[in-house]
Amino acid sequence: MNEIKLNTESIRQLLNRSSAKLEQPTLAGLRNARMQALSRFDARTTAPAFALAGIAHRFGHAFGSHRRHYYWASAVLFGALLFSGAAYWQHYNEIDNSEVDIAILTDDVPISAYVD
Amino acid sequence: MWTDGIARRLSTIVLTALICLPILAEAETWAELTPVQQEALAPLNKDWNTLANKQQQHFIKMSNHYANLTPEKKERLHKQLVAWSKLTPEQRKRAREKYIAFSKVPPEKREQVKQMLREQEARKAAASGVQPASTH
Repeated sequence: MNEIKLNTESIRQLLNRSSAKLEQPTLAGLRNARMQALSRFDARTTAPAFALAGIAHRFGHAFGSHRRHYYWASAVLFGALLFSGAAYWQHYNEIDNSEVDIAILTDDVPISAYVD
Repeated sequence: MWTDGIARRLSTIVLTALICLPILAEAETWAELTPVQQEALAPLNKDWNTLANKQQQHFIKMSNHYANLTPEKKERLHKQLVAWSKLTPEQRKRAREKYIAFSKVPPEKREQVKQMLREQEARKAAASGVQPASTH
């Protein structure tokens, strides 16, 4: 087969022509050149992506157990905060009997009259 | 890793502090009370540290009314405070209920009951040979 050697300039010139006018060997050459360019492009762009994925995976593995500990610590901390909040809430919402108690203790009736 | 150990210890300390916070915040020694509170709660001086934190807080609240009392009422309070502190929460609750119910009785009837109680106290005191406490 009569193969045509293609360079950047010839590709530019060929692209400027109508693709319908191109001969079959020219189209095959163009396809080959495109495929080669694409394969080189893929190799350049996917390599860093794979590298990043690898690093992320390794980091994920390393921090996986830490994250689990942090989840537990956060849960326990949240529980402790809830407990403290509930204790304070209960303390401040207790019925204040101090006025009644002072009235009982200062009344002229001894407390023994009110105690069983 | 050593940082893990430190983080774990720190979180344990923080958690313990958080859990104990409500208890720690309420504890008050006799020396920490104001002079007015100490005067109001003077009969409890010796037993103060044996009282539960909750009870201490309650007595502190009671002492806030002390400044507004007449000398006579202050004396009555001091006479009855120790006995009151030794009652169970249930006994105090029932005493409050009885006092509230009694305060709703018409004044004339209330005075009759008070007179009866005074006579009863006087009889008891005479029987035991002790001078009855002044209730007026």
